[in-house]
Amino acid sequence: MIREPPPFFHRGPSPLARLTFFALLAIATMIADHRFGALEAVRLSLSVLVAPLQSLAAAPGAAMSRVAEYFSSQDRLLRENEELRAKVLEYAAAAQQSKLLAAEQESLLAMTPGRSRFATDGVLAEVTSYGRNPFSRKLVLDKGLTQGIKAGMPVIDGEGVVGQVTAVGTFTSEVTLVTEKDQSVPVMLTRNGLRAIAVGSGKDGSIDVPFMPVSADIVNGDLFVTSGIDGTYPAGLVVARVTAVEKNAAYMFAKITARPAAGVDNHRFVRILTAPRPALPAPPEARADDKRPARDRSAAKGRRAP
Amino acid sequence: MRPADLTPVARDVMKLPAGPGLIFASLVGAYLFNSLPWAGWALAARPDLVLVVLVFWAIHQPGSVGQGLAFALGLAMDVGDSMLLGQHALAYVIATYGAQVLRVRVLSFPILEQSLHVLGLFIGATVVVLLLNLLLGASPPGLAMALSPLVAALAWGPLTWLLYLPGLRRMRRESAA
Repeated sequence: MIREPPPFFHRGPSPLARLTFFALLAIATMIADHRFGALEAVRLSLSVLVAPLQSLAAAPGAAMSRVAEYFSSQDRLLRENEELRAKVLEYAAAAQQSKLLAAEQESLLAMTPGRSRFATDGVLAEVTSYGRNPFSRKLVLDKGLTQGIKAGMPVIDGEGVVGQVTAVGTFTSEVTLVTEKDQSVPVMLTRNGLRAIAVGSGKDGSIDVPFMPVSADIVNGDLFVTSGIDGTYPAGLVVARVTAVEKNAAYMFAKITARPAAGVDNHRFVRILTAPRPALPAPPEARADDKRPARDRSAAKGRRAP
Repeated sequence: MRPADLTPVARDVMKLPAGPGLIFASLVGAYLFNSLPWAGWALAARPDLVLVVLVFWAIHQPGSVGQGLAFALGLAMDVGDSMLLGQHALAYVIATYGAQVLRVRVLSFPILEQSLHVLGLFIGATVVVLLLNLLLGASPPGLAMALSPLVAALAWGPLTWLLYLPGLRRMRRESAA
């Protein structure tokens, strides 16, 4: 007769079995998060749990910077004030002009309701930390779901586009910077209206503008602003200034590098543009005939078959 | 496993299992350390103290800290660092498995050799996270990342001393009584 081992020895599944189980679970989690974005609820509830710890860990640094700011010399404040006053004057004229232009534009677009390209509504947010992901740089802001922030909203500072809200917690939100790899912004050249797409290079302070033909009329110092045709970024926000144009006849495209206008590292306050996205018109063929593409494909196949 | 296989200190402490309070407090402390506002190259070189404490308890207290807790802590780290959910979970689970397999062997060595053993586990966890991110198309954060497991292994000695303290003190009190 085989004796039952005493309960002391019952240890559940073997370590290897556990490893297999948990590794598969982790991989499934990653796939669900990456491919389907299915775990936002899990992330949100976990973020509520760890939020107190996070703010506790951030407290000493935040307190230090507050103290440093408090004792910052009057001299510096005066100088800053002076600069800001000069800037206000400089911008005042442009602002009045742009108000006029916006009003004109609004009245022109009144015939197609819900197509305003100018965004004015926004929420001021404080940068609480730079995200701690060593593989990508993000800003963490102190406004979240409770303030009506949604993923996809553009974020700007005094100089230009900073990035886009990509994840929202209850009281915090994360901003992916325009310089981030594969983060793209539809832009327009202010000088000649040339349209392009600016793509983050993954390096600090640099944006690429790929797929521009060698013949494209772009020179150093040109300014890119958002074109507003994507329905995400309102039109006219400054994005980047061209710093290098490399045209080599051996390649199909020019290599264009630009420097983001927004100070990505040095702002404490940013503005989240909360205006609802203008509704884009439906693609012209969407309603016309649903079966057409399938027929086209089969026809193409038939042509290729013999 | 014979008690003679263990170093004197390790044997003593194993007689006095640490309470859940100490385990919980040490993990929370490590999480706070990881959540400090790291930035730049310091962020890449940040020693993952949560992993160190986790491996420590997986070796010294296998009954109460295992792969389930490792998975949960990994998810917490991913949420805190806003990374893809599950990558730290995978790294921690693998490191904890290594700790479970190696624990008797590790405990039979003095602290310095123990550090070398756990260095292997830390390097493994770092490489898992690095590979997963490269797979996702991220650019590598630079050589500073190689420092992270090294510093973590350096922290093993002080950490062992720190986490032994309550047990040793209790033991001294009991032997005095």
